[in-house]
Amino acid sequence: MESVSPVSNQLLQPTTSSSSDRSRRKRKKKSPPSVPSSPSPSASLQKWRSEKQQQIYSTKLVRALRELRISQPSSSSSSIPGGGRAVREVADRALAVAARGKTLWSRAILSKAVKLKFRKQKRQRISNPATSPAITGSIRSKKQRATVMRLKAKGLPAVQRKVKTLSRLVPGCRKQTLPVVLEETTDYIAAMEMQIRTMTAILSAVSSQPPPPPPPGHEGGQTHMLG
Amino acid sequence: MSGRRSRSRQSSGTSRISEDQINELIIKLQQLLPELRDSRRSDKVSAARVLQETCNYIRNLHREVDDLSERLSELLANTDTAQAALIRSLLTQ
Repeated sequence: MESVSPVSNQLLQPTTSSSSDRSRRKRKKKSPPSVPSSPSPSASLQKWRSEKQQQIYSTKLVRALRELRISQPSSSSSSIPGGGRAVREVADRALAVAARGKTLWSRAILSKAVKLKFRKQKRQRISNPATSPAITGSIRSKKQRATVMRLKAKGLPAVQRKVKTLSRLVPGCRKQTLPVVLEETTDYIAAMEMQIRTMTAILSAVSSQPPPPPPPGHEGGQTHMLG
Repeated sequence: MSGRRSRSRQSSGTSRISEDQINELIIKLQQLLPELRDSRRSDKVSAARVLQETCNYIRNLHREVDDLSERLSELLANTDTAQAALIRSLLTQ
């Protein structure tokens, strides 16, 4: 089932993917992505919008979810809030891996996961078993020294504030310059859209009932055409 | 606004980055946002507006992913049936 070919964004290779993903491709009657005219940024956006990438990601995600499932004992006392968080992290990590390490946010997500595991094991070894929310809190409460604005051009305080907020939303962009933040944002948005598409597809494939339609304002580049 | 300026200038971190480059990025960002893309006027939407919509959009996306994760986890919590359904859906479809 493992047939992850390198993601060549321009060429949508026909049938090298496994049979399990072929169905998704058949079900998704997606038109080729409508993309802005400039060459190089649209390449990354096309990558996230391509069927191939979605199949790759969904395979990764399902595999990771299955492993996650095994780690949770099959008792009815599974903590659902914790479970949702775990699923989100798994999905984010799989998404970051799918980005092939080319973007800041993907590397930030992956390093966050590694740091978390590392610190968790370290503390468990030393003294009390640290709970992950506590560690997450300590990592997240780092001072936000956002030195985003180094430019004379966009010196408006309003723009500065918004860019700072934006840089906080996108992982790994807190201390980055404005163009970096903008670029990471575009890639991050496209990636998240793909993530949402994939998870929706998995949900509807497994539960055999269509998930509720997404809130308005989201019918941008994708169409939830499943049922 | 054709072509990009050299990226080396960007990575140096100095404030030599041109406004054109920034505007280009902002336009590209604007085209990603569902709200601003359809109602694109001939003149550019203000950068602050684009950034604001971007923040909102990213928050929305986060919320959606969280919601989907919750539902997926609930599904996975229903032990055997979910796993069997998962495997089945992958193999047969």
